[in-house]
Amino acid sequence: MARIKKTLLGSDIPRELVYTPNSILDFDYDKDLGNPGSAPFTRGIHRTMYQGKEFTCRQLTGHGLPEDTNKKMKFMLDNGATGLSILFDIPTIQMYDSDHKYSFGQVGLSGVCIDSIEDMHELFRDIKIDETTISLVTHYPSNTAILFAMFLAYADEIGVHWEKLRGSVQNDTTLEELVRSGIDYLKPGDCFRIQCDNIEFIRKNVPRWNVITLNGYNLREFGTSSITESAVAITNGIATIEALKIRGMDIDFIASRISFFWSASNDFFEEVARLRAVRRLWYKIIKFRFNAKDERSTWMRCHVQTSGGSLVQEEPLNNIVRASYQALAAVLGGAQSLHVDSYDEAYSIPTKEAALVSLRTQQIIQEETGITEVVDPLGGSYYVESLTNEIERRIVEEIETIESQGGYLAMIESGGLQRQISDYFYNQQKDIESGKISIVAQNKYKSKEKLNPISTFQHSKDTENKQVEKLYNLRLNRDNEKVIKSLKALGEDCKRGVNIFQSCIECAKARCTEGEMFEVFKKSLGLWVTPSFW
Amino acid sequence: MAKLGLDVHNRGIIIVCRQLMDAGMEVIYMGNSFPDIIAETAIQEDVDAVGVSCLSGAHLALGEKLIDNMSIDITVAIGGVFPPLDVRLLKRMGFDLVFTPGATGEEIIKFLKECIAIKGEFYGRRCTSDNC
Repeated sequence: MARIKKTLLGSDIPRELVYTPNSILDFDYDKDLGNPGSAPFTRGIHRTMYQGKEFTCRQLTGHGLPEDTNKKMKFMLDNGATGLSILFDIPTIQMYDSDHKYSFGQVGLSGVCIDSIEDMHELFRDIKIDETTISLVTHYPSNTAILFAMFLAYADEIGVHWEKLRGSVQNDTTLEELVRSGIDYLKPGDCFRIQCDNIEFIRKNVPRWNVITLNGYNLREFGTSSITESAVAITNGIATIEALKIRGMDIDFIASRISFFWSASNDFFEEVARLRAVRRLWYKIIKFRFNAKDERSTWMRCHVQTSGGSLVQEEPLNNIVRASYQALAAVLGGAQSLHVDSYDEAYSIPTKEAALVSLRTQQIIQEETGITEVVDPLGGSYYVESLTNEIERRIVEEIETIESQGGYLAMIESGGLQRQISDYFYNQQKDIESGKISIVAQNKYKSKEKLNPISTFQHSKDTENKQVEKLYNLRLNRDNEKVIKSLKALGEDCKRGVNIFQSCIECAKARCTEGEMFEVFKKSLGLWVTPSFW
Repeated sequence: MAKLGLDVHNRGIIIVCRQLMDAGMEVIYMGNSFPDIIAETAIQEDVDAVGVSCLSGAHLALGEKLIDNMSIDITVAIGGVFPPLDVRLLKRMGFDLVFTPGATGEEIIKFLKECIAIKGEFYGRRCTSDNC
């Protein structure tokens, strides 16, 4: 008798007590699985997977001033991290300068502050950007156009050729329009246009860079199931490909640098099966819907982050256990790159010690468990194959629903997705409060003793003052005529509908600030009033 | 109800708004806003309580500015992600109620109503809600 055990951010897929060959009656190895590295890639995009290339240990870093994050990145690399992932502070993400009145009290707290190309120079000082894979977590298309332009302009200034650069940007409309709270929003169509401008420019000029990291994680953590998470990311991918084809780009050229970003939450086998399901589904879409010629175009390459929202304040060391299981699911599912959240997640950004435990979690999986010696070790499990099939079926169903209602952009414009997701997480909250979803030490097995509080990250007190002073001097010493000229040109490109990225690079070189560039977007494109969540 | 500052995370505040509305309270949701504007709006609208959400780490800097601008007869609550010792600092600063991850809708509503009722009596506020 199938029953549903509710889990955090789970999909409520009923479970049998035991799975047998009858659970996968039509199973055909070649059609449903294939060998790793062969269509339909269910078992992995590469033949040798982690034996050929380990998953990248890519822990997020970002706090304080650029020089503070520079030190932290070096610390992580010295301890064996194999990729960088840079998180910006909230004023930077929201595109206000550190000295803007909206930014007061918030500079450098949950990420690194970047206002201009000068900050890029500080951020990457003595780091070989042509030898390290760098994920710049530029969530939105708008801030990707600004921050990645600054990064590329910086590469020019230090003499690094763009062909050498490897890494990714996020560049996702879902983040700018759907899952963040903010003051100023561009219209979804304009945001999506910038997303495509970014992809077009980056694909043509930075050949080894992943042009978009389809989301995925932030949508999931906002509060939805892995089914909706996958369906939204994929429909965004489909809409993006269609828009770029209209611009004259070829499917293989487009798809070969698309990547994904997933959350690994609590329901262990569901998380494993989902990665396998999406890998198979993406292959089918790129191959049969878009007729790609190159098999590499069909690979669902992904970065996975363990679920931040699942980590709690009560008995925080338990979070190491949660994050470890989630990381394990991501590895068994075949992720290319991994970030493990730290145990103090529900209190603050991680201390050095906590961040180190997260890195070690990944390394212990790689070095001590033997798991990465075999490709897709869960393949052939009656449960996992049945679950993979069921998850794929549900994702396809949801994609069809989204497409029947006008597609990805239409769903965002209408507010349909907003209300669907708000209902999901509102109901999850009811399930948590009623105990239907168990959270150990929070609503089940609550400790009667009060434990000593953990020590948490200590912010430096003068970050904001230093950055504000730096900005003052920047504005004083730069060629302000050049600034005005380049911002004007950017505004014209916005209005004319041409690709804005080159103008962004000119602005970056002129030492325009991020806030100044965002102002241009707002003024020339106009704003959007977001739909309600209820 | 408002997001304090530029903080991007709004799942918590959306849930609490819906819980309060389901409990019969009238909710004005301002989205992202700033201490002076939140306080001004609260006083203008003559609300019984203000609730702000902050997961960005800026709760002390911005919280202080909010309390400075608020009038003392309005209940002020804050929810968010705070280091352990900051809960006490926020209370000392003048927040009537401080909620951390794990707080349930039932608790939030109960404490809000209690505080509104107490302040109502103490400051002679005419309660605008039937539920005081």
